[in-house]
Amino acid sequence: MKRSSSRRSGVSSSSSSPGSCDLLRSGSSKAVSKETERIDQLFYTYMDKPSGMIDPEGIESFCSDLEVDHTDVRILMLAWKMQAERQGYFTLEEWRKGLKALHADSISKIKKVLPDLEREVRRPTSFMDFYSYSFRYCLTEKQKSIDIESACELLSVVLGYLFRHQVDKLVEYLKNQHEYKVINMDQWMSFLRFCNEINFPSLENYDPNLAWPLILDNFVDWMREKQNGSLGLKSF
Amino acid sequence: MSAQKKRNFKIEAFKHRVEVDPKYADKTWRVLEHAIHEIYNHNASGLSFEELYRNAYNMVLHKYGEKLYLGLVTTMTLHLKEMCKSVESAQGGSFLEELNRRWGDHNKALQMIRDILMYMDRTFVPINHKTPVHELGLNLWRDNIIHCSKIQTRLQNTLLDLIHRERTGEVINRGLMRNITKMLVDLGSCVYQDNFEKHFLEVSADFYRVESQQFIDNCDCGEYLKKAERRLNEEIERVSQYLDAKSETKITYVVEKEMIDNHMQRLVHMENSGLVNMLMDDKYDDVSRMYNLFRRVPEGLSTIREVMTAHLRETGRQLVTDADKLKDPVDFVQHLLDVRYKFDKIITTAFNNDKTFQNALNSSFEYFINLNNRSPEFISLYVDDKLRKGLKGVSEEDVETVLDKVMMLFRYLQEKDVFEKYYKQHLAKRLLSGKTVSDDAERSMIVKLKTECGYQFTSKLEGMFTDMKTSQDTMQGFYASQSFDTGESPTLAVQVLTTGSWPAQPSAPCNLPAEILSVCERFRAFYLGTHTGRRLSWQTNMGTADLKAIFGKGQKHELNVSTYQMCILMLFNSSDCLGYKEIEEATEIPSADLKRCLQSLACVKAKNVLRKEPMSKDIGEDDAFYFNDKFTSKFFKVKIGTVVAQKESEPEKLETRQRVEEDRKPQIEAAIVRIMKSRRVLDHNNIVAEVTKQLQSRFLPNPVVIKKRIESLIEREFLERDKTDRKLYRYLA
Repeated sequence: MKRSSSRRSGVSSSSSSPGSCDLLRSGSSKAVSKETERIDQLFYTYMDKPSGMIDPEGIESFCSDLEVDHTDVRILMLAWKMQAERQGYFTLEEWRKGLKALHADSISKIKKVLPDLEREVRRPTSFMDFYSYSFRYCLTEKQKSIDIESACELLSVVLGYLFRHQVDKLVEYLKNQHEYKVINMDQWMSFLRFCNEINFPSLENYDPNLAWPLILDNFVDWMREKQNGSLGLKSF
Repeated sequence: MSAQKKRNFKIEAFKHRVEVDPKYADKTWRVLEHAIHEIYNHNASGLSFEELYRNAYNMVLHKYGEKLYLGLVTTMTLHLKEMCKSVESAQGGSFLEELNRRWGDHNKALQMIRDILMYMDRTFVPINHKTPVHELGLNLWRDNIIHCSKIQTRLQNTLLDLIHRERTGEVINRGLMRNITKMLVDLGSCVYQDNFEKHFLEVSADFYRVESQQFIDNCDCGEYLKKAERRLNEEIERVSQYLDAKSETKITYVVEKEMIDNHMQRLVHMENSGLVNMLMDDKYDDVSRMYNLFRRVPEGLSTIREVMTAHLRETGRQLVTDADKLKDPVDFVQHLLDVRYKFDKIITTAFNNDKTFQNALNSSFEYFINLNNRSPEFISLYVDDKLRKGLKGVSEEDVETVLDKVMMLFRYLQEKDVFEKYYKQHLAKRLLSGKTVSDDAERSMIVKLKTECGYQFTSKLEGMFTDMKTSQDTMQGFYASQSFDTGESPTLAVQVLTTGSWPAQPSAPCNLPAEILSVCERFRAFYLGTHTGRRLSWQTNMGTADLKAIFGKGQKHELNVSTYQMCILMLFNSSDCLGYKEIEEATEIPSADLKRCLQSLACVKAKNVLRKEPMSKDIGEDDAFYFNDKFTSKFFKVKIGTVVAQKESEPEKLETRQRVEEDRKPQIEAAIVRIMKSRRVLDHNNIVAEVTKQLQSRFLPNPVVIKKRIESLIEREFLERDKTDRKLYRYLA
C-alpha cells in the first residue's frame, strides 16, 4: 500500500505543469487576483455547500451550462487539467489549478478554450499522461482495477477517436471473453502501447515473445482466428 | 721483436705430370663394360672387385666420370631391353614369375654395379647433380620394363585379374603378388599408384557395386551385414598380405562406400529385418555388427541413432498411451523399466556404450514418459507396491537396485512436484497402516530423492518418519502413565501427525464406540497434559483395528479391519440386525465410505462377517444387515479388505492437479523475483528461460503460466514494463 501511494503522487507531480504559462504571461498581480476571484466565484455557483466541493450534481449543471454531455471526453480532459483526484468531484484547489492553467474564468471562456484543450491532449506527450490519468480517475478508493464493462466504455471514450478500429475490436473481444473480469493499470497502459505500435489489422509485427500482457496475446490469437475464419469463408 | 721479419712459408703441391694414355679411358671403360655384361650374365664370380673399383675410381679421378656414367646408362639400358623381351615373351601365368625373376636379377646386378662404382656415386654424382646409381637402375627398370607398352597394361590386368580370382574364391600365389607390388612401391609410390592402385580401386568399386546390389536384392539385413563385414575384413587382410599398407584406408573406403554408405537407408529400414526388427528380436550381434560397420561411414551412426530414437519413442508412446496398460500402474512402470533395461543392454553390448546413444535414450524416455501425465502417480504407485510387498525377503542390495531403477525413471519426470504429492500420499498410507516392508528401504528411497532434488523436496517426507517415531514414544509414555489395569479396555495406538507434513485429508470424524472413546479421551488428556497449546483431531478415516470375534459354533477369529469397519461391527455387539439407515445414523460415516465398508464386510466371499438382505452386490439405502453366525474361515486372522492405495479416480486426479498448480504459483513467482532481483532488467524470453531452468528440477513451468505470474507481480508492483523497450521488465526495489 505504501509503495502504491507514493507512486501515484509521483506520477501526478510529474504531469505537465500548468504554472509555467502563468509565469510567462505574468500580468499585474491585481489582474491575477481578479481572475482568481472570478474562478472562485464560478466554483461557488456549482459547489455543494455541506461538502465544500463540486459534487456529481454540480458537475451535471456545469456540463449543461457548457452545453456538453457529462460523459463527453472533454469533461474528462477538464478533470485531467484539474488533476481531479476523485471521480465526480472537484475541489476548489483542483478547480483553481485547472482553470488558471486554461486562463478561463467564465463559462464562455471555458467553452472557447475547449478546442485548445483537445489539441493539447492529443499531443503524444500529454496523451499518455491523460490516458493513464483517465484510468486512475475511474478507480474508486483502494481499487486497483476496473471491471470490463467500465473499461470498455472508458476505452471507447478515451482511445476511440484515435484508434477506432482497434478499440472496436478490443471491446468486442473483451466483452466476449470470460477469463478476465477486471482490467488493471498494466493492461490498460499496454492497450495504448499496442495501438501505437502494432500494425492493424494485419498484426504482423506483434511478437508474443515480447513483454506483452497475456490478455493481448489472447486478443491477438482471437483476432487471427477470426481473420483466418473469415478468409476461410471467403474462399468458399 | 717487432722488427723481426716474418717469413711466410708456402707449401706447393708436388707437381709431376701423369702421363695418361690417350686411349686410357676407352680401355678402362671396356674393362668395366665387360664386367657389367658379366654381372648381368651371372658370371660375376670371375671378376675382381678390387680391380674394377680401382678402374672406376681412376676414371673419375681422371675426369672421365661423364664417360663412365653415360656408359653405365647405355649398358644397363641394353640389358634391360633384353630382359624386357624375355618378359614380354613369357606366356600366361609365367609372366609374373619371369618379371619377378628378372627384377631379382636386376636388383642383384644393380647392387654389384653400385659397389664397383661407389666412388663415382660418392663424388661425381652429387657434384654433377646426376641420379645415384641405385636410383638410376630403378628408373631405367621403370622406363624400360614397367612402362614398356606391352608390359604395362598386361601387368595391370594380370594383377587385377589375380585379385578378382582371389575374391571369387580361388587361391593365388600371394608371395608372388607381394613381390610384384613391392617392386612397384620400390620404384616410387607414384609408380605403385599409377600402375596399380588407381586401377585396383576403380575395379574394386565396380566389383563391390555389383556385388552389393546382388546381396541387397537377395539377402536380409543381417545376412548382408555379415557379408559386408567379411568383405571388409578380406580387403584388410589382403592389404596386410600383399599390398602397400597405405592402400588400406583407400580400399576400405571403397568397400564402405559401395557396400554400406550407398545402401545405408535401405539396410536400416529393410522390411522384416532392418534395425527396428533387430532391436525387437533382440539380435544384438546383428545390431553390433551394424554399429561397427556404419560407424565407418559419415552419417552412419546418426542414421542408426535416428532410427533407434524413432523406434524407441514410438514404442514408448504406445506403451504410455495404451489404455490396457494404464489399468495396472505397477505393470505399467515395470514395462517402462523393461524397455529401459533392454535398451541399456543394447547400448552397452551393441553400441559400444556410445555417449550419444545414451543421450538419445534419455531424451526419448523423457519425451514419452511425460506424454502421460499420470506417470508421476504410477511411478509412485510402483514404489508403493514394492515397499508394501514386492521387496519382502529381498536382500538389501536388490532393494537398492530396484530403487535405483525407479530413480532413473524419476529423473525423466518433468513434473517432479506431482510425484512428490503422490509419494507423500502413498507413504502416509504405508506408514499409517504399518504396511511398509522395511524401514531401511523407505529411508533409502528418501535419501535418493533428497540427493536428486535437495532438502526441501523431502523435508516433509522426513517429518512423517519423525512423527511415527515420536508417536511410538508417546504411546509408551501413555501406557506407563496409566495406573489402572488396561487388560479389559481396548488397546489404543495413536499416531500423532503434524499438520502440514502429512497430506491433508479433510474428514468428518465418525462416532466412535463408547469403549474406544473413553480410551481416546484419556489419551487426549495425557497428550495435552504434556504438550500444552496443541489441538488434537481424530482422523478416523485412516486408522485400523483388530477385533476379537466369536462366531456361531464358538470359533474365535481375529478380524483386521479399518476404523470405520470397526465402528460398524461394534454396533452388532448390542443387536443382531441393523438397517443401513440405522448404521449411518449411529456411526455418521460419510455415505460413500460407509457403502464401501459395508460392501467389504458383507459382500466379499470368505470375509462376510455380516449378512445382507437382500443378497446383492451393491449396498442399498434400505438394506438390512445381520451378524453372520455361520461365518467360517480357515485362518485365525481374517483381514477384511481395506481400500489400498490405488490410482486416483478422475475427480481426485483433477483435485490433485489443481493443488499442484496452486502450489506452483508461489514457486514461479519466487523464482521470477529471485532472478529479477539479481538482474534488475531482463527481457521476457530470458525470464522464461531462467525460470524454467531454476524450476526444472521440480517441474516444467508453462510459459503462459510464467507470463501470468509476471503480470501478477507487475500488478503488485514488484516489476514494471520498460517504458521504451517492449521486451524488458524492470525490478522495482
